[in-house]
Amino acid sequence: MTSGGQQSAPLYKPYRLLKTLRDHERAVSCVKFSNDGNLLASASLDKTLILWSASNFSLLTRLVGHSEGVSDIAWSSDSHYICSASDDRTIRIWDARAPFDCLKILRGHSDYVFCVNFNPQSNLIVSGSFDETIRIWEVTTGKCAQVIKAHTQPVTSVHFNRDGSLIVSGSHDGTCKIWEAATGTCIMTLFSDRAAVSFAKFSPNGKFILTATLDSTLKLWNYKLGKFLKIYTGHTNKVYCVSSTFSVTNGKYIVSGSEDKCVYLWDLQQKTMIQKLEGHSDTVISVSCHPIANRIASAGLDGDRSIKIWVQDP
Amino acid sequence: MNAQIIDPLQGDFPEVIEEYLEHGVMKCIAFNRRGTLLAAGCVDGSCVIWDFETRGIAKELRDKDSVAPITSVCWSKYGHRILVSAADKSLTLWDVVSGKKITRTILEQTSLLARLHPGSSTPSTCLVCPLSSAPMVVDLETGTTTVLPVTVPETVNEVAAPPRNKSSDATPHFTPTAACFNKRGDLVYVGNSKGEILIIDHNRSVEIQAVVPISTAAVIKNIAFSRNGMYLLTNSNDRIIRMYENLLPQRDGSITLQELVKTTDNHDVLEKLKVVGSKCLVLVREFQDTITKMHWKAPCFSGDGEWVIAGSASKGEHKIYIWDKAGYLIKILEGPKEALIDLAWHPIHPIVVSVSLAGFVYIWAKDYTENWSAFAPDFKELEENEEYVEREDEFDLMPETEKVKESGVNEDEEVDIVTVEKEDGFSDSDMSQEELCFLPAIPCPDEQQGKGGGSSSKLMESTHSESPVSEDAAMEGLAANNASSPHEGKLLLSSFRFLCNILFIGGVQRFYSHGTEIVRI
Repeated sequence: MTSGGQQSAPLYKPYRLLKTLRDHERAVSCVKFSNDGNLLASASLDKTLILWSASNFSLLTRLVGHSEGVSDIAWSSDSHYICSASDDRTIRIWDARAPFDCLKILRGHSDYVFCVNFNPQSNLIVSGSFDETIRIWEVTTGKCAQVIKAHTQPVTSVHFNRDGSLIVSGSHDGTCKIWEAATGTCIMTLFSDRAAVSFAKFSPNGKFILTATLDSTLKLWNYKLGKFLKIYTGHTNKVYCVSSTFSVTNGKYIVSGSEDKCVYLWDLQQKTMIQKLEGHSDTVISVSCHPIANRIASAGLDGDRSIKIWVQDP
Repeated sequence: MNAQIIDPLQGDFPEVIEEYLEHGVMKCIAFNRRGTLLAAGCVDGSCVIWDFETRGIAKELRDKDSVAPITSVCWSKYGHRILVSAADKSLTLWDVVSGKKITRTILEQTSLLARLHPGSSTPSTCLVCPLSSAPMVVDLETGTTTVLPVTVPETVNEVAAPPRNKSSDATPHFTPTAACFNKRGDLVYVGNSKGEILIIDHNRSVEIQAVVPISTAAVIKNIAFSRNGMYLLTNSNDRIIRMYENLLPQRDGSITLQELVKTTDNHDVLEKLKVVGSKCLVLVREFQDTITKMHWKAPCFSGDGEWVIAGSASKGEHKIYIWDKAGYLIKILEGPKEALIDLAWHPIHPIVVSVSLAGFVYIWAKDYTENWSAFAPDFKELEENEEYVEREDEFDLMPETEKVKESGVNEDEEVDIVTVEKEDGFSDSDMSQEELCFLPAIPCPDEQQGKGGGSSSKLMESTHSESPVSEDAAMEGLAANNASSPHEGKLLLSSFRFLCNILFIGGVQRFYSHGTEIVRI
């Protein structure tokens, strides 16, 4: 399903399925490639995390420790540490190198921790939770540096910008807020027609925010103007917090999972849907793009429980 | 930077003490180039590097041999090295990432100030102002020192003093002179005890190239450039801080200076130097407190050069004066009753850091007020009450007019999500060497790793944060725990408030025990 005839860009080469990884026992909630491109981490409702090699996708290790399912994971910038957010109200920091110990447990949230992220300097972790707060934790000591009473409904997504000065948070209350990381003050609010925001993240250069809302829409905002510039539709997203991401390794695309069991790719500028990757047997809840190679990893929910790796033929 | 949506109309200077850092007794501080790390020299000879974002200790540079108090700290341009001078006459050059000593040089005298060459990324030369002799340029690798002249030679015949390897000779009663590099490090600006600013090119001949006399001829105590190298501050014994504009170009300062020297024709050496000097620096502003006639300490510029700050040198008070460039006194910051010994303005943010005699580092920042219009985009904050006048057709019923979706933005425009703008303010950052902005944060492993349990203090933490009211108290309690307050009264007060808050909720037994834990510390 190639869309031919882009004026200056080369012909789009479709992604195809390379491998399916079936080692989780329950729904996979999140997949993330490490920042150096060597490892792939996945988290599941079976309370474990699995680390895979990103070159041959063999299973390296299983990180066990949480007492409830894990909803989100994040890599530190140097790819040495992983933090995981779990329904047991804690966040764990794991060492991504042998012996893969759990280094710290961050306690403080009073309800499920839903989303988590490192800052670019990787000395702080931001987490969003069902208790409607955002917490900023120090990595070295594990202390909670700030508690921000951010929203009126569960916080579904938190992300630092490129220099770590701002945090964007999305929530089921329909708002997407931008906070100053140093002080915890709110700088801006983006409304999206009252539809619950299921996902929000900054663009690689920190100037734009991509939001996913539960009316099957993805929007790219210029947050300084408070207006969105692009809309991407065609997929289904009404129930789950499906994550999306930017693919910048070979042309600029928006990649997102969907509740109709496919992975969608849109051209960033033209907003046209370029490809639909079929193969999962349940909602695709999470996608991740390899930082260097043209690879996408996608994860499916309970009916599927697998991670699929898609590559672009050279 | 990404944070430009903050209201620029509020003045960009700090107002209140946000926090203080405590670790031993610190004496002097220095920010790295981006302000992400703060190095502090302590009385026990160690140098502590604070991660300014988390306000936690990132690294400690400690050496068994050097236990003498540190007199000054200086970062290299890209933050890979730190030069530390101590009271045992030594200069130590440290590698920041590894925490290891590179070289250690022993001089003849203790240096009050040591500055690494700011132009190169791996500097091996530094400028040193010893306790009671002329400033010199030290080569750290070879250990050779080049003494800089501090007075213009009296007679015409005598050329400026040749470089000597020995330090001061029989010159009687030398008051310490101040010196600093210019932005590129090719010229050294010395302020001597006769109230003259001497410009010396230390790369070519070690000769005085220009002289800028101060009208009152008072001893110059401090001399410092702004971060962009365009302005110079001097602090003199006549209680006046003077601001000069640097007329020499940033890039080829020494070459331009050579040209000026060649083209200026004057038989009298001193007059010639003064004429050249008048083309290098021009007095722009004078700052003083005409009422109390205060002596100043550690004057410096703000990161963007818009503000000038100085600390009061009177004992027993911790006052910081802020002036704007036009010379108006904007604010006086008052801290706890401990004398101020060092002062620094953050290179980027409106944050000031001051060191008190007791060894605490106080961080001054803006008082943040909530910006309510941030919470809802259609909020507009008004300065004062306005009478609302309705529009003519405001309450008319319009059939089927949906609000037209205003897309004020062209949706087909190309959006660029990857290019990063170059940050202004760091114009000369050539990417030849990677700058050290952060030290890697390594999580300290927990002692126990239980699934639900964990150590008792952790259990306290989690139960504290369940009820929202106790959360604030928990924060207070934890804050008092982390950095024990300098004053006994404050400590007891915060724990007392903590106890009061907890008692209202209940669960007195468990929380009371935590309360006593604080007091014990």
